Amino acid sequence: MIKNEKLEYTDKQLVDFDSASEMKPYLTKPRAMYVGAPGKQGYLNLGFELDASGKSILRELDRRAPLIVQQELYFDEELPGMPCVYILSSGGPNVDGDRYRQIITVKDGAMAFVSTGAATKLARMQDNYSGLEQTIVLGKDAYLEYLPEPIIPCAHTRFISDTRMTVDPSATVFYSEIFMGGRKYFGDGELFAFDILSVCTHGERPDGNQLFREKFVIDPSRSPIRDIGVMHGYDVFANVLVMTPEANIAPIYDATAAFINEQEHIAAGITHLPNNAGLLFKVLGPEPGPVKKIVREFCSRVRSQVKGCPLPEEFPWR
Amino acid sequence: MLTKIMHLLQMTDSTFPVGTFSFSNGLETASHMGIVHDAETLEQYTRSVALQAAYSDGVAALLAYRAARKGDLEAVMEIDRELMLFKMNDEARMMLQRMGKKLAELAVRLFPDDKLIAGWLEAIKAGTTPGSYPIAQGLAFAHGRLSEEDLYASHQYGVINMVLGAALRCVRVSHYDTQLILQTLSAEVPQYYAVAREMTFADMNSFVPEMDIFASLHEKGNMRMFMN
Repeated sequence: MIKNEKLEYTDKQLVDFDSASEMKPYLTKPRAMYVGAPGKQGYLNLGFELDASGKSILRELDRRAPLIVQQELYFDEELPGMPCVYILSSGGPNVDGDRYRQIITVKDGAMAFVSTGAATKLARMQDNYSGLEQTIVLGKDAYLEYLPEPIIPCAHTRFISDTRMTVDPSATVFYSEIFMGGRKYFGDGELFAFDILSVCTHGERPDGNQLFREKFVIDPSRSPIRDIGVMHGYDVFANVLVMTPEANIAPIYDATAAFINEQEHIAAGITHLPNNAGLLFKVLGPEPGPVKKIVREFCSRVRSQVKGCPLPEEFPWR
Repeated sequence: MLTKIMHLLQMTDSTFPVGTFSFSNGLETASHMGIVHDAETLEQYTRSVALQAAYSDGVAALLAYRAARKGDLEAVMEIDRELMLFKMNDEARMMLQRMGKKLAELAVRLFPDDKLIAGWLEAIKAGTTPGSYPIAQGLAFAHGRLSEEDLYASHQYGVINMVLGAALRCVRVSHYDTQLILQTLSAEVPQYYAVAREMTFADMNSFVPEMDIFASLHEKGNMRMFMN
């Protein structure tokens, strides 16, 4: 049983990462608007399910500024029955003291595609940090593609996120994130000038059985980000988690190449998540474009395995 | 005191039979691709491996040590399971489990009166705990009443030396080079420890995407120098 969370109007702080040790240096009260202030605390609850005719629809839509979702569209030519949603932010970049809470539920048998309207910019911060807490819940045979545009941190950005994915063993979630090192062409280049990025993703079954927990904390001032083994000479990093039934894992793994292409300066690798939960795919590259292309090709492979059709070509304006 | 130092040396020695020599932590791929090819690039790579272990396996070893000092087998097993949830590739999981079981089997002989280690080995055999190496180290060090610093130093030394040992077989470097790298990286361990000692599970983290890609290439079987 998947329950929907209802939110009354509040300016109480919904999302709190103050106890995370890596955020300790960034707990000053923002001099601008307070944490939790209207417009600084985005909330989004998207609930997809099958209607009486068996069509996937966006049944639940609850949002608080600055997050905006208008309505579902059916623009995927390969999967015309799949509702597609873009998450927009009316506030521009994430700023100091912002908090975001996103809940995406795909109920039994339904499918959905979620992306963002544009890259997520993380502004320069001086007192506090910006935090995002996400919950993704998939019912039996549900299918979700989460393919947002890249995240771009500015100098002195502090960002922390926690994503919990509760996924039925028969369901598939494709969860991708693309991180740019920064505004590469701003001034003399602003790569890896942020203060901290802390990203944690957990996978679990509906009965609470924990499957995996991935956490990376990137603090360029603390550890040498350009060393071999870390970012080396690459500027963009994509992390993709795929939770899918066990029978799909081997065919996707076998069809996906691990490679280092020194001419194009792009590399990718794939491995198995713990507890047969699915696959983990990572891409490193010079610019978001080629990295995104490889992430989409991988998504296409996953979709072909699960839904029997590929991803359509990306819109030329994206 | 002397006996303790002897214990520490024994458990840190590269001939301590837990099978460290069979793993290169992706170095084989990095070297085959020509990305690690001399002392400087080897130092960078080894530092990445050390940092990756410092805030994950190293933390698990410390947490297991503290649980073992309290005689809490349940807590030890919980730490073991948490660490395996965090290990994101097959080779890393296999390496930690193989070495962990070897150390557990050795430890029950070395410390036959230690009920905790015996209980943990039983749990590994029964499949109720994964049996990872940092946990085994925590248990062994707690038994010998060695300090947390001893454990952490030994753990990091083992990680660094594993990579450098492999490097002597697949990178064009000399023993002088590897000893200098070991010395440089050893000097960085205290700053990792200062952070790691305060960490819990929630804080455990690692960020080595290029290393993960090397590991994936290795896992896909494109190259295997360490076959025999």
